[in-house]
Amino acid sequence: MIINHPLLGPRDASEFVYLGDASLIDRPDWQAKDAQQQFHDYLYLRDNPAGAHRELWFHEQGDRSWLVVTRDTITHEITNVELARDVALQRGRGR
Amino acid sequence: MPRLAPSSPLNGFRQEFDRLEITEITDLALVSIASPQGREAELASAVSGAYGIALPPVGSSVEADAGEPRFLGLQPGQCFALFERQDEGPVDIIARKLSDAGYYTDQSDSWAVLRVSGTRCREALERICPLDLHPQTFVTGAVARTVMEHLGVIIFRDGEDSFLLLSARSSAPSFLHAVVTSAKNIQ
Amino acid sequence: MSQTHRIDGGLLDRSRALRFTFNGTSLEGYAGDTLASALIANGVKLVGRSFKYHRPRGIFTAGSEEPNALVTLRRDGHGEPNTRATVTELFDGLVASSQNHRGPLRYDLMAVNDYLAPFLSAGFYYKTFMWPKAFWEKLYEPVIRSSAGLGRLSGKADPDIYDKGFLHCDILIIGAGPAGLCAALSAARSGARVILADEDFRFGGRLNTETMAVAGTSGADWAQQAVAELASMDNVRLMPRTTIYGAYDHGIYGALERRTDHLAESAGKPRQVLWRIYSKRAILCAGATERSIAFGNNDRPGIMLAGSVRAYANRWAALPGKRIAVFTNNDDGWRTASDLAAHGADIAAIVDTRDRAPLEAPAGATVAMGAYVTDTKGRHGLKSITLSNGTTIECDCLAVSGGWSPNVHLTCHQRDKPQWRDDIAGFVPGPDLPVGMRVAGAANGALTLAAALREGHEQAHAAAEELGFKPASIALPAAEDEAVETSAFFHVKADGPRAWIDLQNDVTAKDVKLSHQEGFRSVEHLKRYTTLGMATDQGKTANLLGLSVMAECNGRSIPETGTTIFRPPYTPVAIGALAGRSRGKAFRPTRLTTSHKSAEERDAVFVEAGQWLRAQWFPEKGETHWRESVDREAVRVRESVGICDVTTLGKIDIQGRDAAEFLNRVYSNGFAKLPVGKVRYGLMLREDGMVMDDGTTARLGENHFVMTTTTANAVSVFRHLEFCRQCLWPGLDVHLISATEQWAQFAVAGPHSRDLLRKVVDPEFDLSNEAFPFMACGEVTVFDGTPSRLFRISFSGELAYEIAVPARYGDAMIRALMDVGEEFGVVPYGTEALSVLRIEKGHPVANELCGQTTARDLGLERMVSKKKDCIGNTLSERSHLNREDGLALMGFAPVMRNEHLSAGAHFTSRDKPATTENDEGWMTSVAYSPTLGHSIGLGFIARGRDRVGEIVQAADPLRGKTIEVRIVSPHFVDPEGERQRA
Repeated sequence: MIINHPLLGPRDASEFVYLGDASLIDRPDWQAKDAQQQFHDYLYLRDNPAGAHRELWFHEQGDRSWLVVTRDTITHEITNVELARDVALQRGRGR
Repeated sequence: MPRLAPSSPLNGFRQEFDRLEITEITDLALVSIASPQGREAELASAVSGAYGIALPPVGSSVEADAGEPRFLGLQPGQCFALFERQDEGPVDIIARKLSDAGYYTDQSDSWAVLRVSGTRCREALERICPLDLHPQTFVTGAVARTVMEHLGVIIFRDGEDSFLLLSARSSAPSFLHAVVTSAKNIQ
Repeated sequence: MSQTHRIDGGLLDRSRALRFTFNGTSLEGYAGDTLASALIANGVKLVGRSFKYHRPRGIFTAGSEEPNALVTLRRDGHGEPNTRATVTELFDGLVASSQNHRGPLRYDLMAVNDYLAPFLSAGFYYKTFMWPKAFWEKLYEPVIRSSAGLGRLSGKADPDIYDKGFLHCDILIIGAGPAGLCAALSAARSGARVILADEDFRFGGRLNTETMAVAGTSGADWAQQAVAELASMDNVRLMPRTTIYGAYDHGIYGALERRTDHLAESAGKPRQVLWRIYSKRAILCAGATERSIAFGNNDRPGIMLAGSVRAYANRWAALPGKRIAVFTNNDDGWRTASDLAAHGADIAAIVDTRDRAPLEAPAGATVAMGAYVTDTKGRHGLKSITLSNGTTIECDCLAVSGGWSPNVHLTCHQRDKPQWRDDIAGFVPGPDLPVGMRVAGAANGALTLAAALREGHEQAHAAAEELGFKPASIALPAAEDEAVETSAFFHVKADGPRAWIDLQNDVTAKDVKLSHQEGFRSVEHLKRYTTLGMATDQGKTANLLGLSVMAECNGRSIPETGTTIFRPPYTPVAIGALAGRSRGKAFRPTRLTTSHKSAEERDAVFVEAGQWLRAQWFPEKGETHWRESVDREAVRVRESVGICDVTTLGKIDIQGRDAAEFLNRVYSNGFAKLPVGKVRYGLMLREDGMVMDDGTTARLGENHFVMTTTTANAVSVFRHLEFCRQCLWPGLDVHLISATEQWAQFAVAGPHSRDLLRKVVDPEFDLSNEAFPFMACGEVTVFDGTPSRLFRISFSGELAYEIAVPARYGDAMIRALMDVGEEFGVVPYGTEALSVLRIEKGHPVANELCGQTTARDLGLERMVSKKKDCIGNTLSERSHLNREDGLALMGFAPVMRNEHLSAGAHFTSRDKPATTENDEGWMTSVAYSPTLGHSIGLGFIARGRDRVGEIVQAADPLRGKTIEVRIVSPHFVDPEGERQRA
């Protein structure tokens, strides 16, 4: 596979390491009342779509960026690649 | 006790092949410079004040005046300064110029550096480098981190027919074997 | 033997005669020959024995689709079984031998299998060898394996070398026949970077084997001109002898280039190169493959595909027979007859299944329309054929044409389903081609020459335009649209002798019918039950025949019956090529510490720790057992001082205004208030609450830390920290860079370590306990000015330091340390002694941090702060991970002092049998403690902390040993930690 890195252009998937669902960005608040339940769901509950899937890849043998890659799990078509940092900031993550 | 004597990762390796040469570069200093979040402008202005250049974006490099460092853009918020080794500590040299505008880490001893040059150098690198090194795609001055024979490598094109390859010091013999094998296999 | 079947003409260099041997007989051919064409020229008909029935077989095709002519090339370790003679370029000194026979090829003892055919039909394994069950492994399978099969491996290491590589292009053109050459010219003239690859050693494809003209010259000449133009362009890479064997995601193609297979010796150069080609667009111009027709005894030597017979005559000037008959269901078969007649061959007959003759037959040929072949004779070579009208015709070669199937293989590699086209009676590429792929020419069902040229040009034009190139206007070379009408007649429906469908796997029409009868009717079941199409040729000449028989059984059409699809590789790829250089020590990189050379000089024994080679122990003169060395090293550390290279630990340089806060969140214990100049042990959890890693982190400055990780987790911890930094807390000012390689780091441990370091560290630095106490760190200089970092940390439990110098000084440093340490009796110690010392001290390593253990299990629950957010904190509080009867890390000592503990043993109560139900935990680490004089262990056991003093069983069924052990504190030596603070 080839991942079209937003800063570097197309790079072979062998330079990357796969983590999993991009929802891992949405780490819950540890002080929430039901924090344990939230963390449980965050860590263990995943959708398994046959189709578009947003997932985290790390450009380990490259620029060390974490990326959010939108990939069709059936065709491997990649429709979007974003810097995970930008996605995290958009989703309200900060300090 | 006498002072400690330095040694290079590949003992100054050098070998010539047909239109191809592989040489260890031992006199380089490397310092990583990270730009503090929210204060990127301060670093930028320190760099332009000290060296008269702008920091390069990821994937490219920019060279200050002769004798000054070349900066390689390696990852968001981080670049490498590459310059000739001197008596003074590499971090001290940069810090003297840029003060505390960035975070500096000495990387001079982390890497084995090979120069692969000659008109057949691309042909040899085809055997291990997954990147497209066509001169219109990977122009002189381009830089990238990639993987060759399972080893992380920073590749920097410092001329039409010349590349610098940086790979981890501890695995330098394996890396050299990979590069030399490529050279032999195309001859 | 001379070249009895050689005729004039052909694309051969007759000035270069090449000698070769086949089964020991010395023969001669010319440069430009394949092994197959040279064998044909020499009148050799019988070239092998079939897979199952050991039937005599001859050359069937002239290309990579060959099912029969598999030979073993070269000798000994160089030997390569199952090589298709039809694609083996002849070289001087080539040695080939036939396969799958016992005794001489002509008198194969295993031919008896042919008479056992009634017992060897589809699925016979499952039916015949069911009983008695025990016979399968011992008797049936070995017998079947030795009697059925292909060539044999030499069993020796392959002395040749192989390589891999990466190529990039705008447009990859697969196949250099008329469509491919036209596409390449068009694409290249537009300025695109083009790779043109063809499996043949001569570009041109069918242009080299046909007599049709292109642009007023012969096809072969036009091809040469096109190749010459392409070769002159620096945006074109021509790759002859290269098979594109697989189409992968996003325009990536696998290619096997045979670099020296056509030479007698590789001369130390790679024999084959496996390329990964990155293309923006690809144009598949793979042509078409002729298929056969199934009829009685259609597998005899001398029965060949018609287009191949023609190819041997036209390109290789070799006539497969003196008297040749043609059996066809289409117009193309007639061209074989006319071409052969033009070469002076005697055409015995043209047998066409259709009613109306499309073309004129050569003079003297019997023409039988609406007829078909029902049987043949000639055990080692064809003698005669029998027709449906009862006549028998003598001939030594039968050219069979069942029409042409587009080579859709690569279009299927991403699961595209080929679609049936009635007009050509074949499957063409479906609508879901691999990304970026276009198909042109015969591969696309355009079976005429003019159409192939046109499609090649058009597809290249479109591809170049898509990529933003300006396609050059190009005059299409003039060529004709030859007659190619065909009919869907694929098998003779008669209850005669066996009719072969898959020659390589010996599948007959009867097997397909049996499969239907037994309920295996879907094409996928048919394939697996009969093994149709599962041989090394993937049924290139056979699949459609099988489908037609199954369709007839089902009473449905071929498209209704369906088709299987193809997988990579298009043709077989040797394991050696897939391995490339990754053999022996080159299988993976080796990492060496800077003290490696010095350790080698001290005869150290090394151990692999991941990619690292680490000194395991340093034997001294007179030591005959590793334990002697290890015990000595451990004792010396406890009594005096030892030095161990600890460079392999991961080191991460962490800087930023929020670096302290960041560490506070990734470690479970507090780091926010760690003073500058101090080191702290840190425990890192995974988000699920399990321990991920541990190590020490030193604060070098207000905004500057250096973290150490375990050797094994250096990479994964770095990745995790980057995840935290970029994805979880992108607003923190924190920056990471690996410093593992930058520093050569040595543990200096033992009561004399301070004395030793005083001789190393420059005098302006105060090393007294007051100035530089336990867990202090700082930047110092050594040996008159070399910059260095000093950490007062202890893994052994002794007064100890770790000292780091820039890696370039590592070699000099270890030598200097050993020199100045001589007066204290310093020893170098390896990973074994390191392990002994840490087990004595009760420090956990990977054995204990196995991914299934919590801080509480390790007795470190107080290191999980409840006052802050950190990775793993919340889920570590889950009730299940905090059960009263949970595991605890404890020490274990044998009740009988002289017994040895074993790692991996499981604990049960003394009064209970050692079964899974009674399992209470396991031993993680063991060592012989020279300090205590007996074996000691660490391990996890339920409620361990309440059971100190209790005796339990440690059962090790793998080693057949159960012993009694006493539960003790995990801190065997200096539990109060006084020594390390001294």
